Amino acid sequence: MTIGILMYAHNSQFVDYALMSIISGGLAKKHLAVPASLVTDLSTMEWMQESNILQKANSVFEHIIIVDRPVTDNRRTLCDGKTQAVVPFVNSNRASAYDLTPYNRTLLIDSDYLIFSNRLAEYWNVDQDVLIGQSINDIYVGDRLGYNDRYISETGVKLYWATTVMFTKNNTSKIFFDTVNFVKEHYSYYADLFRFDSRQFRNDIAFSVAKHILDGFKSSAVGTLPPVLTTLDTDVLTSVDHDRLTFLIAAPLSEKYIPTSISNTDIHIMNKQSVIRHADQLMEML
Amino acid sequence: MSFGYLLVVAEHESVDYLKLAYGLALSIKNTQREGYDSVALVIDNKQKLSELTSAWVFDHVIEWNQETFWNGRSWMDHLTPFDNTVCLDVDMLFTQDHSHWAEYFIENSELYIANKSYTYRGELITDAYYRRTFVKNNLPDLYSMYTFFKKDSQLARSFFDLGRQIIKNPVQFANVFLAQHKPKVLGTDEAFALAAKILDIEHIVAYPLEFPRIVHMKPMVQNWPWPADAWSDHVGFYLNKYGKLKIGNYEQNDIVHYVEKDKIDDEMINILEEIAWKK
Repeated sequence: MTIGILMYAHNSQFVDYALMSIISGGLAKKHLAVPASLVTDLSTMEWMQESNILQKANSVFEHIIIVDRPVTDNRRTLCDGKTQAVVPFVNSNRASAYDLTPYNRTLLIDSDYLIFSNRLAEYWNVDQDVLIGQSINDIYVGDRLGYNDRYISETGVKLYWATTVMFTKNNTSKIFFDTVNFVKEHYSYYADLFRFDSRQFRNDIAFSVAKHILDGFKSSAVGTLPPVLTTLDTDVLTSVDHDRLTFLIAAPLSEKYIPTSISNTDIHIMNKQSVIRHADQLMEML
Repeated sequence: MSFGYLLVVAEHESVDYLKLAYGLALSIKNTQREGYDSVALVIDNKQKLSELTSAWVFDHVIEWNQETFWNGRSWMDHLTPFDNTVCLDVDMLFTQDHSHWAEYFIENSELYIANKSYTYRGELITDAYYRRTFVKNNLPDLYSMYTFFKKDSQLARSFFDLGRQIIKNPVQFANVFLAQHKPKVLGTDEAFALAAKILDIEHIVAYPLEFPRIVHMKPMVQNWPWPADAWSDHVGFYLNKYGKLKIGNYEQNDIVHYVEKDKIDDEMINILEEIAWKK
């Protein structure tokens, strides 16, 4: 059985997802010791060529799969510490992972998820066809997460995090991804039914609704990956020293920042610009 | 050794408790295994049963009017016709077979009282909004809505005797034992919890088990981000023709204590009756 990592990168004028995917894919490949592949589009490929990272991409990724760039008017507010901007967000095609993956068993990760351990390797042989991140854990000692980080809506179902998804290519996972796709295509209907905000498409919500339906309309801890350790986009990655990452963590209801650092730990860094600012140091690790 | 569920109802000015008990009895008949589906009804006026289409769902009907309203439940040990009994609140519905819970209790317990409950999303309820008396006075977190007992148990007899004393003398017991936070009404939950504490039998009647699992639809403990007066303002209650119950987006597989008494309407009763007739 072939195993590997799959990720998506569709650049916007604000975020260089291609560069992030090279960093994320390279780290995952190094620490999990399996090949990685990238799904991207022609314009992002052209940008990689123009910015001289295509060669690196070719060395990191076993396959680079070109697809049509998803048409979306998704926009979201993205912070970089204290500054923020409303940016386009092209991420609506992750349900195609089932069809596009070149592997029998695939770990699908976001390009802002940096893997520094082999923890997820424990799940390659778990007898579950689809696994998804069960929640996110805030790196801050307190709790800055909101209700909508735990549930898809106030009265709705538990929110799982599609930052990490592992699946085996078989009929069961095909049904799962078909359901995700169906929810995506009928997003307004499901928003009415499950009472979530339909204005912005979220993969996490589509995956959560699909899991809830296929689990028999109940929450199930079966088929989950460990919680995703996360820094918020108001936090700032300030230094990268080998495997040690140092952050300034935005204290809630305060102007203050609290320094913290981690090493050998997988981390979801929502502040994408702060990752890009440390791209050189991160690339040196690959 | 007989086993059955005991339901106690009495006349009430605004709630038709017999209708709720009827819905519950139908759901028991529809879901529980033979031998674990007997239901006894205690009612203050037997004549009222003539209003029901299928009163046969009550295997035993006991006319009794010595107490009013829920105080009657504290006499469950005297009233039951069964050797082994689970006494239930009547505003509940069974959604699947839980006969194995009864089997366990018959085999292993003389008296067992539910000591945890769940939200409609299946989360363990930890919010003590309705349980300040319990927290402040360090009472065991008992829910009388599911109480198993053996009729010949001396432990159960002592427990229910004391429970009745507490219900009969709420002010005196509250002054002495619930001084940290006196309840507005000393109900069966408080009385049972206090009786268990005084007798020091908490570890016998409420030891940790994964069951019984009861969804408790008190609105303020549903883990919602805002206060709620009525859960039905926020989530729907859907019973399909196969007797499958959904609350909001969640299919219910545990016993559901729906709390809002108007949830069992004629349409739901018709659905439950049709399933019972076809069984």
